[in-house]
Amino acid sequence: MSQSPTVQSIAHDSEVVFDNIGMTFDTGAGVTRAVANVSGTIPEGKFVSVIGPSGCGKSTLLDMVGGLLKPTQGTVRINGETVTGPRRDTAMVFQEDSTLHWRTVLDNVAFGLEVKGVSKAERYEKARRMTELVGLTGFEDHRPGQLSGGMKQRVAIARALAMEPRVLLMDEPFGALDQQTRQFIGRELLRIWEKTRNRVLFITHDIQEAVYLSDEVWVMSARPSVVKEVVTIDLPRPRPEGTHALSRFRELEDHLWALVKVEAAKTLGPGAQRA
Amino acid sequence: MTVAEKTRRVRSTQRNPPLPRATAVRWVILAGLIIALELTTRTGLINPTLVVPPSEILARLVSIIPTEQFGLDAARTLTTIVIAFGIGLVLGVPLGVFLWRIPAAGRILEPFIVTGYAMPTLLFYPVLLAAMGLNAGPIILIAASMSLIPIALTTMVALNAIKPILHKLANSVSASPAQYYLKVLFPAATPLIFPGVKLGFIYAVIGTVAMEFILAAQGIGFRAGLYYRELNTSDMWAYIAVVIILSVLVNSGLTWLEKRIRRDML
Repeated sequence: MSQSPTVQSIAHDSEVVFDNIGMTFDTGAGVTRAVANVSGTIPEGKFVSVIGPSGCGKSTLLDMVGGLLKPTQGTVRINGETVTGPRRDTAMVFQEDSTLHWRTVLDNVAFGLEVKGVSKAERYEKARRMTELVGLTGFEDHRPGQLSGGMKQRVAIARALAMEPRVLLMDEPFGALDQQTRQFIGRELLRIWEKTRNRVLFITHDIQEAVYLSDEVWVMSARPSVVKEVVTIDLPRPRPEGTHALSRFRELEDHLWALVKVEAAKTLGPGAQRA
Repeated sequence: MTVAEKTRRVRSTQRNPPLPRATAVRWVILAGLIIALELTTRTGLINPTLVVPPSEILARLVSIIPTEQFGLDAARTLTTIVIAFGIGLVLGVPLGVFLWRIPAAGRILEPFIVTGYAMPTLLFYPVLLAAMGLNAGPIILIAASMSLIPIALTTMVALNAIKPILHKLANSVSASPAQYYLKVLFPAATPLIFPGVKLGFIYAVIGTVAMEFILAAQGIGFRAGLYYRELNTSDMWAYIAVVIILSVLVNSGLTWLEKRIRRDML
C-alpha cells in the first residue's frame, strides 16, 4: 500500500489520503527536499503512528495534513477534498505546551469551539464532557500555571477532541513529558480513543509508544523521506497494562527498531550503525 | 526549579493579598516622613520659605480645592493628560503591532524611536507654542509623543516574545484575524505590554505638568509655576501636593487594573 496508484483506487471519499506528496524547502543556503513521494491512507477509525529518524519530516507531514504547510508536490485529501489550509475537521495537539495561560482549563478546552463560533452553552457542555474524559474533573477552573506538564497536555488533547475532528493530528504530544507520565498518559489516550475512535495521525520517535497505541506504524526513511514500510500492529484491543510484555509486542518492536536503525544510521553518518 | 514551579510561585505571591503588616509598616513610614517634615519645617531646620509644613499645605488645599479656579485648572490638566495618553495608546499599540508584523520596518525605525525616547522632547515646546499658540495643543502633542514611545516599544517586544506555538495553535484552528489578535495575541502579550502602557501614562502626566509649569494659561502645573514665580510657597506646595496625590491615585489604579488584566482577559 505504499504506491500511489493502488492507494488512489482503494481510497474512499471519507478517507484521509496522501497522494504522492513531497515537500521541498528553500532555506536560502540551498534547497532541502524534506519529504519525497509519500503516499498512504489513514483508514476510518484507525490509529496511525509515524516513526523515523529525527529530522525526517514527520512533523512536516503532519503540518501538511493540518493545512499549516502546503506540499510542494502532490495533494493531501480529506473526505475527497484537497487540503489547502487549516480545516475545521482536523485538530492538532503539539509537543509544546499550547495552553492559553490566561484561560481556565474549561475555557482552554472550549477554545477551538469558540473560534468555530459554537454557542456558549454548547461549547461549555462539550468542554465539560471532554474535561471529564481526559480526567481533569475538578480542575475546570484552574489555570495552566497551576497544572503539571502532563495535565497541560491533557488540556490540549481535550481541546482537540472537543472539536470532534475527522482526523486528530498529534505531533509528539508526550515528547516533553517524563517517562512515567508519558506511559501513564499514553494509556489514558488509548482509553479515551477507544471511546471516540477518531482517525489519529500520531508522530513519535518512541517505538514502544507507537506499537502500544497504533493499528499501523509508518516507518519513514531518512531525508528525502518516503514511507519505507507500513507495519500493521495486530495486537488485540483493548490493550491492558501487560501488553508490553507480550511476545508479539516484542517482535513488532524489534522489527520496527531494526527498520529505524538503518535509517537513523543514514542520518547520523558512518559509524552510527555500530551503536 | 522548573518553569512551572516558578510560575506557580509568582502566581501564588500574586494571588495572596499583600501582608497586612507590610501595609501597616508602609503607613508608619509615610506618617513618620510627614511628621519629620512637619517638625523640621516648624522648628526652622528646613527654611519655611522653601518647604512649608504639611499641616499648612493641608490647610491651603482645603481652601483651594473648592474654588472655581482649581476646578478649571484640574479639568484642563486632566483632559490634557487623558487626551495625550489616549493618542499615545491609539497610535502606540498599532505602531508596535506594525513594527512586529514588518520586522524590516522594525529594524529600520527602531533607532529613530529609541532616540525619540532618549531625547528631551520638551525642547520643541517653544517652537510648537510659536506655531500653534498658547493652548493645550502643543502640550498634548509633546505629552502624546512622550507617551507613545514606551507603548509602541513594549507592544513590539511583547508580541515578539509570544511563543511560536501560540501562532501555530491559532493557525491550526483557523482563527480569523480578529480572533487571532483579540483571543490569542493581545491576551498573551498583555503582561508585557502593560508596564509600557503604565509608563506611557506616567510620561503623559510628566509631559503635561512640566509643559504647564514652563508656560501655559491654565492647569495645575501652570498654577504651581505661577506661585513659584510669585514666591507664594505654601500655594505652590499645595499644587505640588495635588500632583503627588494624583500620581499616587493613578498609579495604584493602574496597578490594580494590571493585576486584574493579568488574571483575566476575556
